[in-house]
Amino acid sequence: MRRQVVVTEFLKLRRSAVPWVSLAAILCGPAGMALFMWIIRDPARAASLGLLGTKANLTGLEATWTAYGSYLAVIVGASGMLLLAFIVAYLFGREYADGTARNLLALPVDRTWFALGKLAVAAAWWLVLTLIAIVEGFLIGWALGLPGYTPDLGLKVITNTVVAAAASLLLVPMIAWITVWTRSYLAALGFALGMLLLGDVVGHTGWAAWFPWSIVPMMTGMSGPVSAVVPWSSYLVLGLTFLGGTGAVVLQLRYADNP
Amino acid sequence: MPASDTVISTQGLTKHYGRVRAVDGLDLEVRRGEIYGFLGRNGAGKTTTIRMLLGLIRPTSGTITVFGRTVGAGRQDWLRKVGFLVETATAYPNLTVTENLDLQRRLTGAPRAAVAEAIDWLGLAPYADRRAGRLSLGNKQRLSLARALLHAPELVVLDEPANGLDPAGIVEVRELLRGLARDRGVTVFMSSHLLVEVAHLADRIGIVEAGRLVEEAPRDVLAARARDFVRDTFTAAEREEALLTGDLERYFLARTGAAAKAEPTVGGAAR
Repeated sequence: MRRQVVVTEFLKLRRSAVPWVSLAAILCGPAGMALFMWIIRDPARAASLGLLGTKANLTGLEATWTAYGSYLAVIVGASGMLLLAFIVAYLFGREYADGTARNLLALPVDRTWFALGKLAVAAAWWLVLTLIAIVEGFLIGWALGLPGYTPDLGLKVITNTVVAAAASLLLVPMIAWITVWTRSYLAALGFALGMLLLGDVVGHTGWAAWFPWSIVPMMTGMSGPVSAVVPWSSYLVLGLTFLGGTGAVVLQLRYADNP
Repeated sequence: MPASDTVISTQGLTKHYGRVRAVDGLDLEVRRGEIYGFLGRNGAGKTTTIRMLLGLIRPTSGTITVFGRTVGAGRQDWLRKVGFLVETATAYPNLTVTENLDLQRRLTGAPRAAVAEAIDWLGLAPYADRRAGRLSLGNKQRLSLARALLHAPELVVLDEPANGLDPAGIVEVRELLRGLARDRGVTVFMSSHLLVEVAHLADRIGIVEAGRLVEEAPRDVLAARARDFVRDTFTAAEREEALLTGDLERYFLARTGAAAKAEPTVGGAAR
């Protein structure tokens, strides 16, 4: 029955537009980054493109594999926090929006498995998007002929991107909890956006290692210089956030009123 | 009556939302194989009671026993014997009728063939490959009923099962529920705010008001009381008007091809 819970969670995505929307969103990340690289590689091109060229120059980026690769981790890890929150809010929130939550929660299945099944779908979904973003990023990077690529650098880019993606995933049970608590998408998406902004603010205060939503930006260098070594305490914070969020979702589904 | 003949039992069932007493000390007993009509106005506490029966909300106080098992948080195994429809017809709009039922089959452990059977049973064959989001309200209700009956439950809990159905559909569902109880021994607990629906179907009727059970009796007893009440309270002209309403309903059913299924109303009040 547990396997069937996970299988049905995947089956519910058939003909849903949301996976395609999320795919389009993640594809825009590396493509946008590549556009900036293409512009700043050639100062004459930047000058001829007016505002867009000026903006690209203002980023202070260099058109190298090192800079391009580091921003791939930012796009997938930090910016993806919002996209992943959208995915999780959809997976949990659609049951309330479509009115199917009652049907689900009155089935002869331990409700814990519904929570874990949806989180498993989110993890698989996010893994696929991350891999697509990495492949897209590398293909565009090679097509642009950016200088400085080495296999070691490539491996480092992949590792950093996957670690950032995994760290983002640890934050989403909190989004799931807010969705089932409020029984809607909106509060969860508002929370995700708020935490992304707050994470950026906290990232500049020296407390980034202790605030869950600052850790991914800290890992990727989104809110300052890339942290060479992420302290073990940050991994502990992320782990506790994951466990706390997952526990809250399970308790909410099992013990709270689900009218 | 032996305890094993009691399918649903509640003692002092109470649910408060702040100062509002949605259900207030409800004592119910539903027996195996009967159709129990839970009748009450909108807001009387019917839906809250049904949600507590299904474990969706927790009682403020009191106990619920279903198939001899106390209903409590996290204990879902007794739900294997229960089919239900809670208030509104719902389904995954991006999935077809067949796919929606297949999800239910997987989560209840019903055999594969149950999906096609349920589709045939509820007259959904022409819509089997249509997305649920594109169904009419009546067909969504049929889909919800198919979902409720898919795994051959021993108890069916239905909240306003006639919602959204046209008169012919109401008659079909009536027949279906009657057949479930008569041929398969399924216990049916149905709520409605429509007297005529409950009167057509129920073996016993409980009337709930402000969260309390104000009357409970077999249908015939309640019908006799109703006839006496009507005779003593209303004028002959008013009674004639009521009969006309019943006649109009049957005429409509005859003209729309459902005459064969039309049933006399309770106690023969409208012939």
